[in-house]
Amino acid sequence: MALIELKDLNKTYNNGQPLHVLKGINLSIERGEFVSIMGASGSGKSTLLNILGILDNYDTGTYTLDGKLIKDLTERQSADYRNRMIGFIFQSFNLIGFKTAVENVELPLYYQGVPRRKRHELAMEYLEKLGLTPWAKHFPNEMSGGQKQRVAIARALITHPQIILADEPTGALDSKTSVEVMQLLKKLNQEEGITIIVVTHESGVANETNKIIHIKDGIIGQIEENSDHASWGASIIK
Amino acid sequence: MKIRFDTDTFREILDSILRNKSRSFLTGFGVFWGIFMLMLLTGGNQGLKELLNKNFEGFAQNTCIAFADNTTKPYKGFKKDRSWNMQYSDVDRLKHMMPELETVTPSVSLWGRTAARDEYAYSSAVVKGVRADYALIETPKLMYGRYLNDADLAHERKVCVLGKKVYTTLFPEGGDPCGERILLGGTYYSVIGVDWREGGGVQINGSPSDMVTIPITQAAKAYNLGNNIQLLCFTAKPGFVMSDLTPRVREIMARAHYFDPTDEQALFLLNTQLIFGIVDNLFKGINFLVWLIGLGTLLAGVIGVSNIMMVSVKERTTEIGIRRAIGATPSQILGQIISESIVLTLVAGMSAIVFSVLILAGVELAMTEDGILKAAFQVPFGTAILAAALLTLLGVVAGLMPASRAMQIKPVDAMRDE
Repeated sequence: MALIELKDLNKTYNNGQPLHVLKGINLSIERGEFVSIMGASGSGKSTLLNILGILDNYDTGTYTLDGKLIKDLTERQSADYRNRMIGFIFQSFNLIGFKTAVENVELPLYYQGVPRRKRHELAMEYLEKLGLTPWAKHFPNEMSGGQKQRVAIARALITHPQIILADEPTGALDSKTSVEVMQLLKKLNQEEGITIIVVTHESGVANETNKIIHIKDGIIGQIEENSDHASWGASIIK
Repeated sequence: MKIRFDTDTFREILDSILRNKSRSFLTGFGVFWGIFMLMLLTGGNQGLKELLNKNFEGFAQNTCIAFADNTTKPYKGFKKDRSWNMQYSDVDRLKHMMPELETVTPSVSLWGRTAARDEYAYSSAVVKGVRADYALIETPKLMYGRYLNDADLAHERKVCVLGKKVYTTLFPEGGDPCGERILLGGTYYSVIGVDWREGGGVQINGSPSDMVTIPITQAAKAYNLGNNIQLLCFTAKPGFVMSDLTPRVREIMARAHYFDPTDEQALFLLNTQLIFGIVDNLFKGINFLVWLIGLGTLLAGVIGVSNIMMVSVKERTTEIGIRRAIGATPSQILGQIISESIVLTLVAGMSAIVFSVLILAGVELAMTEDGILKAAFQVPFGTAILAAALLTLLGVVAGLMPASRAMQIKPVDAMRDE
């Protein structure tokens, strides 16, 4: 059974004029895949990611995550799933400004009720893994974009999630740092076998992944196998 | 997942507060100011009341003072504008005819007299002749010696009780003056006591500090007053209201001295109970005002806290969104915002209490004279405890609206922050 299974998923926003964003999405993603979702702005890719991350709900269809139907969850349940199954990486890093790097990484464990000493240890471990040990006591505004994104990645990893959802993870980074971050995600996928889903509109970024899902006007178009990383537009990165 | 309360949660709250100093300060200041004003006002009001009550110190509060003035109405063949005097016999007349009266006592006063001792002289002394029971009307605060007694009166002794100012002028070296002699209108009197009451406040025929009190029998002889008296002070027995008794007093006096009982000016009656009633009402009013202003300020403070918390929740949308995205439940967010609010109001309120108590202590220090506290300006302990309890409640109330607003923040909102 696939890790993620979407069947005929529909989502309409009702802000004034009803906007049908997702029009029957069928998708399945296996454990250990490294996938990108590509599409122009307004294509519905961010909405799809929000639904995958249980940040938003959908109208009709089904979404099964690791064999559990994700529908009509209570706030407490969805918070718990988010905490234990999903790691988020955002375009704007979304670190808490008044917390140091290590405190930011600790935060998901705080909500799991892990004791302070234990979670500090774990957080330091993950920061070390990402080469950020010297920056542990620094606040986000004292770090570069690449460093911030790596802190965010450490925060996403610390709960051992089933999937990592990355929303334009390189959107706010220069091209050199972008490459580094993508390499890091690739490494995590290969070495730790974590399922990673990247949403992007840059084909260069998408080319780093093993499968590219094109979404257009709320419908999944082409699904490209890209294990040789030779998709069109591959020249931008590397 | 339940809302945990342990050192961990507390540290999370403390971090949130301490690392956003200006926001926390602004939030707390509203409550600080509210409590500070309330405490200061209640303390100040308390002190003011005590100060004012000091003025009535030793003054029987149900006293009526009567004195004779020219008649304004013709009566029984006498034309109007006739002058008359109260007599010593009026004391017994009133006492016998009105059993409701407790004390009836006469007095005579002579102003601008000079009291002298050796080279010292006090030229604006008031010589006051009274009986021993006059102490029931104006209670002396004796620093040295004793007050007049019945034997002094019966034997027309040449003894006197000195007011504070008279004493300090005539005895600049201080010490117990009892047994010393002073010269008053060509007669030597021996000092038997010193009345330490201050001037100001309620006074009958001059400030108590200017007084030289002598037996009225001696005064009548020394100053050729015959049987005439100037003032007649009387108090009502417990359970009687003075204003119910005064019409009959007027009637009795009118019959004895042949003036029209309806002639209000011929016998002037000053009922102190009425004055005390006015003062009492005044303080009730001030009290009400103090609480109104204090609670108003406090309310404004709480609304301010709520308001700033509201803005800060708005400002913290991203932070709260992030927390939600990485697994915080709405109830955890609610708990955090309310806890932050409680901690802030408590800290702000407690420091306000401490600060206002310090200031009131300073005021008390300034009001202390000769090591004697004139009036206690301090806030009662119970009031402070009550205020602290009220604060916690207000903290919850102030945090409630912003917290519910924070609960509605969806994690998606965090990502839309740009």
